[in-house]
Amino acid sequence: MIEVKNVSKKYGDFYAVRNVNFNVQDGEIVGFLGRNGAGKTTTMNMITGFIEPSRGQIIVNGVDVDSKPKKVKKMIGYMPEGTPLYTDLTVKEFVSYMADLKCIPHKNKKEAVEKAIMQTGLDKVRNRLTRNLSRGFKQRVSLAGALVGDPEILILDEPTVGLDPKQVKEIRELIKSFKDKHTVILSSHILTEVSQICEKVIIIDKGEIIAVDTPENLEKSVETKQVYIVTIEDTENSFEEVFKDYDQIKELKKIKENEDKTYVYQIELKENLVDDKEFRKNFAIKCAENNILNLGISKEEANLEDAFIKLIENRQDYTNEEINKIQYERELDELRQQKQEKQERKEFLKEKKEEEKEAKKLEKLEKNNKDDNEGGEE
Amino acid sequence: MFAVIKKELKSYLLSPIGYIFIGAFLLMFSVLFYNYFNAGYAHLEYVFYDASTLMTFLIPILTMRMFSEERKNGTEQLLLTSPRSLFSVVMGKFIAAMIIVLITIFGTFIHFGILRYFGEPDIRITLCTMLGFFLLCMAYISFGMFASSITENQIVASVITIGVFILMWFLPGVSQFFSDFSLIDMFDHFPRGVIALNEVVRFISFSVLFILLTVIVLQRRKSVK
Repeated sequence: MIEVKNVSKKYGDFYAVRNVNFNVQDGEIVGFLGRNGAGKTTTMNMITGFIEPSRGQIIVNGVDVDSKPKKVKKMIGYMPEGTPLYTDLTVKEFVSYMADLKCIPHKNKKEAVEKAIMQTGLDKVRNRLTRNLSRGFKQRVSLAGALVGDPEILILDEPTVGLDPKQVKEIRELIKSFKDKHTVILSSHILTEVSQICEKVIIIDKGEIIAVDTPENLEKSVETKQVYIVTIEDTENSFEEVFKDYDQIKELKKIKENEDKTYVYQIELKENLVDDKEFRKNFAIKCAENNILNLGISKEEANLEDAFIKLIENRQDYTNEEINKIQYERELDELRQQKQEKQERKEFLKEKKEEEKEAKKLEKLEKNNKDDNEGGEE
Repeated sequence: MFAVIKKELKSYLLSPIGYIFIGAFLLMFSVLFYNYFNAGYAHLEYVFYDASTLMTFLIPILTMRMFSEERKNGTEQLLLTSPRSLFSVVMGKFIAAMIIVLITIFGTFIHFGILRYFGEPDIRITLCTMLGFFLLCMAYISFGMFASSITENQIVASVITIGVFILMWFLPGVSQFFSDFSLIDMFDHFPRGVIALNEVVRFISFSVLFILLTVIVLQRRKSVK
């Protein structure tokens, strides 16, 4: 499990990442979404221990990155952005060097290198210099370097950027296969990729996390209108007439006229008033009643792209003073909370002490009474 | 550390850098040797004494790429996110460069063999000079490595290294105080067949200082990066 608590990274007056909080459960595949310069890579670099946060704490499987970096680094396989490789080494030499850097014991090294090469489909190019490989293969070599030794956590920065569609599909399938075996954090600009691979999405903008949810929930959160696309055959040209005054429809628009004399319409319903099943049923009945052949009806779903755009657009730009003020207030809140917790703990301990004292007193009294009774009997 | 040494040696020997260094040194060493040999001197220490100035320009060939190339190519991320300590990475690179220097020094035994065939060179003085030369190179490499860690431009790294080495030539002329910091001056005693403990300690201290400074520079970059 990865816990990122109140993490900020500051360069001079500029906050690259500000008060970031999130958790990643074991075996989860999490996607980082954000525009260029949003803070995705900075956050990933802080998790891997490559850069230190200005404040906050990162805990990986119960180990603090700051206090025990070596232990944390052993658990992480990192594929940096831009696939940096040692170009004077062959694929096998590179993966083997990565295994050495990761302190994999010599007896397991050969097997680990072989496994990583096979997993990433590099078998045919294992003896070629990395500088002579295509972009797709370079990406795979970098991934193999991260995978070698089966680390519990994989952090992949833009793993499919610059690949052709076939290679993208292969890499995506490979990442999907890591589910439950590895905890994966990946960053991407490609929204469809994130929605296909990831179970959870973290949207980051201007250094702040603005949403953490499943792709489905994020998509649902922006579904503000119900839009249907229908294909009909209308020999009597009565469709618009029939549905013009239909009380559930807000807007009716012809979007295409096919060569086979069928039409495609876009129907927007009155905002979220209508049950999907009921509308489809009523629509089919009405079409049948008016000799309109209903050839297909589909609902236009909001996608992750809509969610992303909605979340990041119109986000307020803060001045440095405002940022400092927010930061100051957050720190104050934290301190207040800590103080309150301390006070509560103190009171709890005091109460416990008093209870113990009371119990001791009672015990003593009972003992005295018992002694008195025994003395009286004698 | 051994993984880094192995990889660095491979990089030196699979690229022209290692061969350029060894070849350039042995070529210039041979020219100097020929001059002394023609003049009738059967002393390899004289050649080493002159060759020590050559190292001012040759050592940056080995050191300029050490960290600046890693930084420029982004492979620094692979090193710094690995569980290996920064010290072991720095030492790995340092030792690999020292091994190349050692191979180069071994190459000069050919010249010793020639002298031995024609004359009677003193093996003890020659070995003592070689030791001094090795220590001088060690100090040079540690500084060159430090220069490479502070910039991502290899040319800048080599210019800093050469500039500081040249400055060290002139330091003793400025003040007696500065002569203690001149590496060439420290090497002076070895060609006379004297292993001065204080000189050895100074070479080692100089090297340790710049190895540690390199570690600090890399460590510090993590917090300011």
